[in-house]
Parts: sequence; structure tokens; C-alpha cells
Amino acid sequence: MTHAGPSLEILLRRLAETPQDFLDAPRTGKSGQLHVSALIFDLSHQIGQPFTEAELRTLSGTDANGMTLCAIACWLLSDDTLQGRISKPRLLPFLGQTLQALAAEYKAERYLLDPERREELVRITLADLGLLPAGETAAQAQDRLQALSSTERRRIIAAAREAEKRAREIREALIKKAAAEAADKYTRE
Amino acid sequence: MSRDGIRPDERLFPLLSEAGRAMLARLCEHPAAPIYRNRSGHRLVAEDIPLLRDFTAEVLAARLGWHNAPDWLADFVTDAYQRVPGYRARGPVPARFTDIPTISRADLSRNITRFVPDDLPLDRLIEYSTSATTGHPLKLPSHPRIAASYLAFHRRALAHFGIELKASKGDVSVVLAGFQRRCFTYVSVTPLLDEAGLAKINLHPADWHHPDDRARYLDALAPELITGDPLSLSELAQLPMQHIPRALLSTSMAMSDGMRAQLQARFGCPVLDIYSMNEAGPIAVYLPEAGGHLLLQNRLYVETLLPDGCPAAPGERGEITLSGGFNFYLPLLRYRTGDWAELAMTPQGPLLRDFHGRPPVRFQTLAGQWLNNVDVSHCLAPFALPQYTLHQHADLGLTLRLRSTEQATAAREALLKLFGTGLRIEVAPLEAQDKVIQYTSELAPPLA
Repeated sequence: MTHAGPSLEILLRRLAETPQDFLDAPRTGKSGQLHVSALIFDLSHQIGQPFTEAELRTLSGTDANGMTLCAIACWLLSDDTLQGRISKPRLLPFLGQTLQALAAEYKAERYLLDPERREELVRITLADLGLLPAGETAAQAQDRLQALSSTERRRIIAAAREAEKRAREIREALIKKAAAEAADKYTRE
Repeated sequence: MSRDGIRPDERLFPLLSEAGRAMLARLCEHPAAPIYRNRSGHRLVAEDIPLLRDFTAEVLAARLGWHNAPDWLADFVTDAYQRVPGYRARGPVPARFTDIPTISRADLSRNITRFVPDDLPLDRLIEYSTSATTGHPLKLPSHPRIAASYLAFHRRALAHFGIELKASKGDVSVVLAGFQRRCFTYVSVTPLLDEAGLAKINLHPADWHHPDDRARYLDALAPELITGDPLSLSELAQLPMQHIPRALLSTSMAMSDGMRAQLQARFGCPVLDIYSMNEAGPIAVYLPEAGGHLLLQNRLYVETLLPDGCPAAPGERGEITLSGGFNFYLPLLRYRTGDWAELAMTPQGPLLRDFHGRPPVRFQTLAGQWLNNVDVSHCLAPFALPQYTLHQHADLGLTLRLRSTEQATAAREALLKLFGTGLRIEVAPLEAQDKVIQYTSELAPPLA
């Protein structure tokens, strides 16, 4: 479901103003200063749907660049305009798969400094949360995101391939089980 | 051993016990057994059983009814838009439920894979093919647990008649009776009822060593229930069997009041007319005292829509449109069934009145007055006609097709009274093997 969301401009400004602390080296083992998992945990409390330990663990497998991007996302998602609009089932895959895919494309800092990457990060965040930038239709938002984001384009191609594969598997499974009566029912139709 | 027929395949009965094996043998090897032509089985595994027991308890306890829409509907819609490719591709969920586009049999027929949720495993998928009276044959995805869930709704239907199933180990729970030249037949057991027996038989004499074996076999099995359609049950009524089942269940074709009365008189047990379809399972059961079909499923939302998509007004008939259902491989969102009825809320639950399995057809009387096919159904209801069709020609003349000539004169008289004395009414034999399109006219197209 897609709901009307906050203004794109407010979130772009917030991203551009990300405090330097969030770019400190993430803590892994004994090195680095920034405890990214603590930021994630705080965020989940802030939205009123705390992550379990198991859920937090699923987010800890990423590399340093991915962790930094995750820290930046925590800053972005704490904006007042997003309060009450974030749900855990949407947040988890965003912090996991989506940020990992973005981190594989560019250094985390580039999503702050380069205006196009900044817009890509904000738009992909809203799309994953099921929100539309204020004043845009679903089609406009999707067009703009696809034009900006190679990650989004790849995601669409992969999804289309996945859908084709799934359809083929369903067809094969149906053919394999094709029989006039495949399991007992008490009445016929 | 088995009397010429095919032996059951034990791989289709993962939980088979010695008692179950003995039941299969008894059903196949009885001296009067028919020649079984096929194999099927419940395909249930141990983990299915508690899930099915919980499901049955929920179905039996549920109270049905809603004001605007049931509580679960909004979440169901959101979930379907997320997990089902065919719905997801439409974009965001419309703000109002009534703005969600409807789908039809043609949509499912075009590409059924688009309606299967992404995240479900396919290893236990099974398939049901449906007949094509509407011109769109369908292959539908299902699962052994979905097939076994039918029983929960049949139990709910039987409870309305004060019947609670008793069959257990060593008993035969149900005989599914067909009456066709070719019919899929097999034996099975029901794990939910302690492996009570199930036999799907064909009453056509070609499937038996001797026609008299039919009554002998049914008396020997003494099934708690017999299910069928008006054609097979009317054949059943001709047999000299002594056994009285606790109920007869009829599906798949319309059953007239006259037919029901005749079966009730012959067997001395309730006759349940169940509105059921492969796309959604058992939907409603006819309750004579309520004057309509009472809904059976606690997670099925029913609307009645006009051809323009507007809801039918109270007291008006519309196309039965379904959302929800228990087939988790086929979540339905505003599925137009092609069947018509008036939806009414009653103290017993939502009720379908004047149900008819096709869009309305209008007929013209000799005096030029227009009649709805429901008027014709009411006119012919008192006669025990297992199946009939009525066609109006361009010159107003009628052709009534019947399975037997037994009540032809009386039925023709009733039609003359309705349409006007002097109208040409020809009575002809009905030779179709299965479902038919009951009402057709050269004068006016159906309303949808």
C-alpha cells in the first residue's frame, strides 16, 4: 500500500545536513567508534516497534560501507515528518537488502555529497516505506526513481526475471499434478 | 482381490494405518463393488492434521455477518496487494474497497500464475480443472489441506440441520455419487475422521458388473452421507437400496423445490443444496425456512454487483462477487462469479435469495410482458425435474428440454399459465452429459 508521504525537499535538506558523527568509522570487533546497531535499536524504539535480537542480528552482516550507510539512514528516518509513518515489516528489508544494494554501488559519503545520489537515497527510502513524496502520484514517483537509480533499475529487472521464473515453476507444478481429481473433496463442483 | 478395477496407490495416503488399509480393501473388494477407474487420495501429512482440526473448530464456531465489511478485509487486501503479482502490478491499493477493480473467470483463465502468492512453496501444489459452461476452462491451484478443508464447511452446513458427523474408524463416511457415461472414480479414507471410508462411484450401469450391485454395494457400505448432483441423486432415488443416509448433499447444479421434496420423501433425511465452486469451495447452503442460501465461510466477503459495478440495492439481485476465501493459493479480490442473487442480512447470517447460477435472462409472455428467469424457476419449482433448459425463440415460442417425460405435461401446463394460453411450447429431450446453460432467449440478451 502506498500512502502520501512527507516533502522530498525537507528530507533532502536533512540528508545534506547529516552530522559528521554519523560518518565515523563503524564499530566492528575492537575497531571503530560508531555503534550502528545501537542507532538501529534506538530507531526501532522511536517508531514504537522494537527489533528483537534476532532481527538485529540479520542486519549486522554488512561491510563497513554498508554500516555507514545504515547510520546515515537512521539519521534520515528520525526526521519529524516521518514519525508514525514507518512500519517494522517495511523497515527491516530496507535496512537490510536495499541499503546493502546501494552500498555496493557507491561509497556512503557520496549519498550525502552528490545531489543525484542524495535524491536517489531519499526516494528509495520512501518507496521502501510505502510512501509517496508529497504532491507526486505513484507513477511520477516511480518514473523519477527509475531515471535516477541504477539500483532501482537492476531491482526491477531482477524482479521481472524472478516473476517469470515463478510463473514457469507454477505452470510446471500444475502440469505435473494434473489429474482429474488431485485430492479428496466431499463434493464436486 | 480388487474386482477388476484399479488398486489404490498408498503413496497418496501418507498416514495410512492398518485400519485405513482394511477400509480401502473393503471398499474395493466387496463382491458388489463397481469397477473403479482411477486413483486419488488425501495426500495429508501429520503436520496438516492439527491445522485442519483448528480450522474446523474456527469454522464451526464463527459468527457470520458484517455491517459495511468484515474486520479482516482491510488486512487481507493489503496482504494480497503485496504478495500476489496480479494485484501488485496495479500499483497502490485504492483508498476505497469499492474502487478495487473486479476480476472474472476470464482473468484467471488468461494467466492463473499471476494470482498465486509469491512466497508459497510449490512442492505440494495440486490442480483442479473446471468445466467450461462459460467458455473459460480453468486450471486452479490448490493444496491437500485446502481440499480437506471442504469438510469443515460441510459440517457447518449440516449443523444448520442439526446433524453432527459420527462416522469414525471402520465406518464409511461418504459416497460421492456421479451419474455420467465417464466419471472419475476411486476409494479413499479421511484422516480427520479416523480413516472413515470415502468412495467416489458412478451410478451409470456401465461401471458395474450387474446393475443390481449398485443398491447392494450402497447398502453394504451404509455411508453416513451421500453427495452428488440433482442428476445422480435422482438416479439414486430409483435404486431399491434400503440404507438411509443421515443427509444427502447436492452441489454443482440448481436443485428445484420439487426435486428436493421428492428426495426427502424417498430417503427420509435432509437434502442439502450447497452452492459451491472450484474457485472458492462451498459458499452457501439452502435453508428452506430462511428461503435462501445461507453463507458458510467466515473469511469470505460477498458483494452483489450490477453490470456497471455499482452494488445492488437491498431487495435487488446482483452478480455474486467474492473476496477472501480459504484457498491460500488463490486469494480472491472482488471475483465476479457469473452467478446472481439478492444478498440479505438475516439473524442467521448473510443470505443469498433467488440464487441463480447465471446472469438473468428475460422472457416475454404472449401479452408482451417481460418476465425474469426467476419467475420461470418459481413456476417450475414444484416439479421434481432433475435438470431442464428453457429457450425462447424469436417468435416467442418456447422449447423446454427435460431429462424424462414423466412430468412433461404438468410442467408444460404451468408454463402455458405463466406465458399465456395459445403460446407454442415444444417439449424435447435433454441429452447433455453435465452442466447446461439453463435459460436462453433469442429475444433479448442477458442483462450482463
